[in-house]
Amino acid sequence: MLLLDYHNVLIHSLLTERFSGSTPVSIDQIVSDFDGVTFHLSTPESKTKILISIQVKCFRELVQYGAQQVLEREYGPYIVDPEPGYDFSVLIDLENLPAEQEAKDDLIMRLALMKRNAMAAPFERAFDEFAKLSEEASRYTTESAPQGVKEGGEVMAIHYREEEAIYIKASHDRVTVIFSTVFREETDRIFGKVFLQEFVDARRRVLTLQNAPQVLFRNDPPLELAGVPGLQNVNDGTLSYVTFVLFPRHLTPQRRYENISHIQIFRDYFHYHIKASKAYIHTRMRKRTADFLQVLNRARPENEERERKTASGRTFRVQG
Amino acid sequence: MSTSLRPYLQCVRSSLSAALAISNFASQTSERHNVPEIEAASSPELLLNPLVISRNSDERTFIEPSVNSVRVSLKVKQADEIEHILVHKFARFLTQRADAFLILRRKPVEGYDISFLITNFHTEAMLKHKIVDFVIEFMEEVDKEISEMKLFLNARARFVAESFLTPFD
Repeated sequence: MLLLDYHNVLIHSLLTERFSGSTPVSIDQIVSDFDGVTFHLSTPESKTKILISIQVKCFRELVQYGAQQVLEREYGPYIVDPEPGYDFSVLIDLENLPAEQEAKDDLIMRLALMKRNAMAAPFERAFDEFAKLSEEASRYTTESAPQGVKEGGEVMAIHYREEEAIYIKASHDRVTVIFSTVFREETDRIFGKVFLQEFVDARRRVLTLQNAPQVLFRNDPPLELAGVPGLQNVNDGTLSYVTFVLFPRHLTPQRRYENISHIQIFRDYFHYHIKASKAYIHTRMRKRTADFLQVLNRARPENEERERKTASGRTFRVQG
Repeated sequence: MSTSLRPYLQCVRSSLSAALAISNFASQTSERHNVPEIEAASSPELLLNPLVISRNSDERTFIEPSVNSVRVSLKVKQADEIEHILVHKFARFLTQRADAFLILRRKPVEGYDISFLITNFHTEAMLKHKIVDFVIEFMEEVDKEISEMKLFLNARARFVAESFLTPFD
């Protein structure tokens, strides 16, 4: 598994089973996802009515950037009042499902993508803002507005984890997405540096990646974030800022959906592969250690001859 | 094997073989004790001259002989941060399994990455030249292993980065 899925596999398989027409059973399950997101699937009233609730750490910020509208667009008729302790809930009535299989599959997928959709709001907003700004900018030439269009757009901050955040900023010619990420230990920090360096170089090295977003990383807050409150400037190398510069070609309406899903998964993908490398190196060392032990055991002389027995079990006795 | 590695290993091999002329020697300071004198260091006349064999500024072997034990310490090449962390992890991994390794010291001598303590009891139970073989092979393999792990890490990082960026096109 190289790339991570965008949707929650557990919710997907659970709903597929429920939707397939098997006898309704009561469900009460808590499902965790990346970035401390928690889902609660339950059947509070009757076995045919499934309530799906999501809890996101930064839901208040997301609402500020229009998450409610995005979720209403995606789940319109299913939305109910949020369950206590959760941020957003939908209620699915198994007796009232769309008839065609395709529509069912689509609904399952949409529900499994609930986290992605909640987090997509600020990205969509930034992409729209970019469209507006570039429209505005196209009305000026370099002569009429020599300084260019004022660097517009507020920086949208999403504190989606305890110490980590995503910052999104739209300009007239690009959208900048900045991830701040923390490395818990020294090994992670160094492995992370190797990985990030490759992200930076990949675009330059590989011809087919010329059109990929530009990636930059540094350990102090980038200039785009100047003036954003709540930035810690601890320069001990544990905090890294990874900047993705999305160009107009990534922001077209056709590419938009895919790209939002894909960039959201960056942090999890990145840390997942650091952990996977560590695990691989660990198994490698284990194997090498076993080899060394074998070499050392060669230094022991062969065991002295044990007591010899005949086939019938009688032993030889040394004549005294 | 590179040109400077062969004489380096040859030198360690001869020096170590010579240093391993050890015999049973009970403690002079406390009755009914028999401890490795190189660790106890209770009587200076039982310690022999220590010896450093350097291949270059960051690769060297330190041999400390005594009447009944020899301590061998290795400093493994660490060209950059990645190698440093890999050596550190590997050494830690090995020392945690020191029980199985018999001659491995649980803690390296200061300034070195990994140490062995060979006592007369080891040389009595095992073949002396095979112990030397083990130390030499260990030195060869550790270098190889570290550089392979580093290559793997870089290759994986490259592959991972390219796979992530490809879907954007």
